[in-house]
Amino acid sequence: MHNIRSLRIGLLLGLRQVQRASKWTTLLIIFVMMFTFLNLIAVSGILVGLIEGVERAVRENVSGDIILSAKSGEDHILETEAVIRQLQSYPEIEHYAPRYISNAVIEANYEERRDIGGERDIAAVTVRGIDPILEDEMTHLGDLVAEGEYLDPNEDGQILIGVYYLKEYAEQFGDIFDTVENVKPGSRVRLDAGDISKEFTVKGIIESKVDEINFAVYIPEREFRRVFNRLDRNADQIVIRTTTPELDSPTKEALVASGLSTYAKIQTYDEGKPKFVTDIKNTFNLLGTFIGSIGIVVASITIFIIIFINALSRRRHIGILKGIGIERRAIEIAYVLQAAFYALVGSLIGAVLTYGVLVPHFDKHPIQFPFSDGILAADPETTFWKFIVLFIVTLIAGFLPAWLIVRQNTLNSILGRNK
Amino acid sequence: MSDIIQATNIHRSFGKGDLVTHVLRGIDITVASGDFVAIMGKSGAGKSTLMYQLSVLDTPTDGELLVDDTDVLGLSERDRTAFRLNTLGYVFQDYALVPDLNARENIMVPLLMAGRTWESATATADTALNAVGLSSKHDSLPSQLSGGEQQRVAIARAIAGEPKILFADEPTANLDSISGQQVIDLIGKLHNEQGLTVVMVTHEEEYTKYCNRIIEMEDGTIVSEKKR
Repeated sequence: MHNIRSLRIGLLLGLRQVQRASKWTTLLIIFVMMFTFLNLIAVSGILVGLIEGVERAVRENVSGDIILSAKSGEDHILETEAVIRQLQSYPEIEHYAPRYISNAVIEANYEERRDIGGERDIAAVTVRGIDPILEDEMTHLGDLVAEGEYLDPNEDGQILIGVYYLKEYAEQFGDIFDTVENVKPGSRVRLDAGDISKEFTVKGIIESKVDEINFAVYIPEREFRRVFNRLDRNADQIVIRTTTPELDSPTKEALVASGLSTYAKIQTYDEGKPKFVTDIKNTFNLLGTFIGSIGIVVASITIFIIIFINALSRRRHIGILKGIGIERRAIEIAYVLQAAFYALVGSLIGAVLTYGVLVPHFDKHPIQFPFSDGILAADPETTFWKFIVLFIVTLIAGFLPAWLIVRQNTLNSILGRNK
Repeated sequence: MSDIIQATNIHRSFGKGDLVTHVLRGIDITVASGDFVAIMGKSGAGKSTLMYQLSVLDTPTDGELLVDDTDVLGLSERDRTAFRLNTLGYVFQDYALVPDLNARENIMVPLLMAGRTWESATATADTALNAVGLSSKHDSLPSQLSGGEQQRVAIARAIAGEPKILFADEPTANLDSISGQQVIDLIGKLHNEQGLTVVMVTHEEEYTKYCNRIIEMEDGTIVSEKKR
């Protein structure tokens, strides 16, 4: 009963203190709390967003939501054409693209090289045989053409080259990549795959922030099958885009249940992604939280000082309240309530800014990191728990100074005596 | 009349070792229910210190104290707070109102603490404000009231909970003579009409006209007592 009375009086005192406090001071404290909240969410959000940007790009431009690959012990996906026919019957599968993958060597200067014993301008490359239409629908590969044009499905003898195989692009990374020189759209290159060689005209240069895309050359699948003698039509990879990303697991389950796992290994994007990506993400999150925690410490000290000065300047009134019979707890609640108000309003404004402005803004205009389009990753659940931490720390920072002042001798407080 | 305050051999000293200052030196005093006692004396005589002991705001270094038949020195701090709430009323020199609360809320706070409902506390606060002549100032903040009006709000707060004893520590000290007289008249009226026991510290003889006992102090002891 006493607790309820103390709570009621604490609420009244706290509410009136907030109402009658200087508006500028209140605004300033709320600003501090808002920036603390943003610091806590945004710093780790941008660090994690940097990795999520990479993941998003990989999912968008490379792997899709579900990946079918060769089963262990097999070289390729078995019965690929039958598998594809089955995929076409699933309404939750929006797009798919089969890929044929192998290694070869491209040679750039074979036409100009007069001396047969002269140095060959060659690079070992990964070759991807694709259906230009399906691949573009699936991964928007056509949008990544930096120079020249995308593959025309009706043309033969065309090739797209990833920038990391071109000296002019790759030299910014130092002399670490195997590259060819002076290759532009329209240049002729020769693809050597074992005993078979075929000349191609460079149709376009592919450039992406995803290394896997830059480290490949792309030719139509029918030419791939000819060059690499893959007449069985069995693909190395089929990537699938579901109508919504959340359908990845249910669709995978359905594919497995239908027996497709007999022909291929079926993984969702999350299952297939390397563990180090998750590790890096967690590490960045931890790092961001650590940096954000410094903000919490600063905010808690700010709140402590504000409440302490507030309580100290009202020490006499606190003494009088105790003198006329108001319980200590009621007075402490009043100050804790003030701190709670600052934390709640500051965090609320911070949350509105985060989800109403910052997240949509960075989604539309990602931060241009060299290897990623950085977004602001602000998972609502993580945000909620960070808010809870901020809130509790603020309450403690509000309670401590009030407790220190309220516990002083009543008469000393009334008379303004120190002892 | 029974004694509502029985203080025996009350000592109060401050400091330690050679620096001890004895402010009260073995005071014996009783206050009967319905008394209006004035404690007078020069500055430093110990009159306010005595009032703080009798009003359970301070703890004597030595002695025995019964207030309303309760051994208040044996109470825990929390029980002393509750005792002050339910039994005693206070009027301080400088009004001591909570600046963030309006006149009505200042009176309501101890009533709510005593367990009254919001409605009951509001009604009682309004009645108390009307009784001290501030019927139009219910919503005024202390900063919007004159010194005399603030002291009347403080008196309304002190009496709203129907205390058994009202302690007033130089209630006119910060007021002009007209406001001071109004405050004394108000306390005198409460004493006369409601039989309220009042213990008041004052410097000025003119404000003791309602008192039936005047205690004179000097150097921490009672040197004389007049009864009327």
